[in-house]
Amino acid sequence: MLDQAFEALKTLDWGQDLAPLAPIDEAVISSHSDESARRELESRLAATLSMTDSRDAKDYVCRKLMLIGTAASVPALAALLAKPENSHVARFALERIPGKEVNEALRTALESVAGVLKVGMIASLGSRGDEDSVPQLAKLLGDSDHQVACAAAKALGAIGSGKAAHALATSSSEAVKQDATNAMLACAENLLAAGDKANALRVYKHFAGEGQPKHVRLAATRGMLACAGKASE
Amino acid sequence: MGRHPHPTRREFIKTASAAVAIPYIITSTALGQGDTPPASDRIVMGGIGLGNMGSGDQDAYLGRKDVQYVAVSDVRKGQLDAGKDKADKKYGNKDCQAYGDFRELLARDDIDAVHIATPDHWHAIMVIEACKSGKDVYCQKPETLTLREGPLMIAAARRYGRVVSGGSQRVLEDYREIVDKCWGGELGPIKSINVNVGPLSQMCNLAAEDVPAGMDWEMWLGPAAWAPYNSKRCDGNFGTNGNSWRSYLDYSGGGMTDWGAHHFGGATFAVDVRELQPHEINFHDDNGKQYVELVYPNGITLTHNKPGKENLEVEGTPGEKREAKPVPSYSGEGGIYGDFIECVKTRQKPFRDIELAVNSTAVSHLASAAYRLQRSLKWDSAKQEFPGDAEANRLLDRARREPWQL
Repeated sequence: MLDQAFEALKTLDWGQDLAPLAPIDEAVISSHSDESARRELESRLAATLSMTDSRDAKDYVCRKLMLIGTAASVPALAALLAKPENSHVARFALERIPGKEVNEALRTALESVAGVLKVGMIASLGSRGDEDSVPQLAKLLGDSDHQVACAAAKALGAIGSGKAAHALATSSSEAVKQDATNAMLACAENLLAAGDKANALRVYKHFAGEGQPKHVRLAATRGMLACAGKASE
Repeated sequence: MGRHPHPTRREFIKTASAAVAIPYIITSTALGQGDTPPASDRIVMGGIGLGNMGSGDQDAYLGRKDVQYVAVSDVRKGQLDAGKDKADKKYGNKDCQAYGDFRELLARDDIDAVHIATPDHWHAIMVIEACKSGKDVYCQKPETLTLREGPLMIAAARRYGRVVSGGSQRVLEDYREIVDKCWGGELGPIKSINVNVGPLSQMCNLAAEDVPAGMDWEMWLGPAAWAPYNSKRCDGNFGTNGNSWRSYLDYSGGGMTDWGAHHFGGATFAVDVRELQPHEINFHDDNGKQYVELVYPNGITLTHNKPGKENLEVEGTPGEKREAKPVPSYSGEGGIYGDFIECVKTRQKPFRDIELAVNSTAVSHLASAAYRLQRSLKWDSAKQEFPGDAEANRLLDRARREPWQL
């Protein structure tokens, strides 16, 4: 049954019944406590990526690798990152696979893709909280592609570390102002939660001035109160 | 959420400086008449997503004298035009601005608040972006599509001091009898409550159809995985059996989250655990009849589809009474919509404050995770993770299609 399912998978296309693939779905669940069966299943799924031209089939495989993929699947998935039709579904799998191999693959791809695909790599690195990508993301804050620059700001906010906050603070790009502001405030919340009141306060004071929108000044004021140990509830 | 001083209503001249067409003559509508407040005292609103639920939400806000409705956004030209026409007809002018891209609407400084009623895969991005733009938000339920989205939406709301209300009116209005019994203490200490709802959403593999004129398909998909247009894939009807976006995993959690937002919201309100999240999700397979038990840290159990149990059937402690507590309710006039507007004015938390709404959608997501993995789970609500369970933690979120991100 599983063999037949993999055969059907190679030619999967939108409009076809998904029932023939049910053995694969069932194997994903049933292999939970059978490591060897799961690794074999993973291997077959990853191999399918290079055995089919079907976009729908690749989409299906990536959804399954999101659930059971490991470092062993990273090369097959990374090979899709620069392909506009498959880049997102590759990240769909990669973003949820634990391990440094994924971060390294995303950082490598970040250097070779452009436009919205680059935004995708940035978003996934941010979502994974990859501290090692901060230097690359910091450089992108000044990117001429507005979407790339804003995505970098958002990702740095998602990472939320002191280094990320510093990178955001040293950016002077007006184009990313709203996203950078939000990201810095998110970093400040993390710094405060970690007990680094001094650096959190520095961020909040930066946004407390008259030149900021009212809701940003409100955020800064609340943050300064929190730094002083006063609840703003 | 913190309470800050009632914001000074902006002067009319500030509204006039916004980058939209503004009538030169200040009309009686602007100045206010009778019990209609002047424009400077009205909440200036826009709506994003104007289909089934969005259209009803628009009607509710348009019908309020303390709201000035100025903008609509939808990726379907038909709904967009209909939304603009409705507002223009209400005010007898052509001033309502229509946007295909919600970001243009959010960029307007003159808008105080927005209502959002898009498919669920858009909610988190739009709510967060709206908060970043300084807007208060009324977001239709279910407010989240993934577990990770909830804390980020709450953080954005709290960061900027925004009023963000979830959208289930049924939580307070549909289960009043059981709520009154529980809060009134006549059932004694509560042990459990059951919710019957479903099904889970499924993968969609519908065939490609031609994209109809006036539909921005790329924008409809937005952060969801690319897929060909099919009318059933994006239909906004309330079914969950394959003929609507509510049926499909990329856009919805299925009936489990859609009606689940009402039922789980009502159940957690009735037994007063709406400020908590479960810490155990126990999966049961009783001769093929699957159900889950969600156990709260205070010992109360919320069961889902437990055999032999009615929807919102409560198990109290027979023979015992408990001290009655006042039942929380809406502020202002006009149900959940009035509650939101009143809270926008007073900066109070609304009845369906985003944190409470996120907690009840989390119940749906946690139960769904147990069904999808066919096993029991532990949940650490403080860390927002399944502790020591790498497999389950993969279900916390999903990568969004470029260029969208939280």
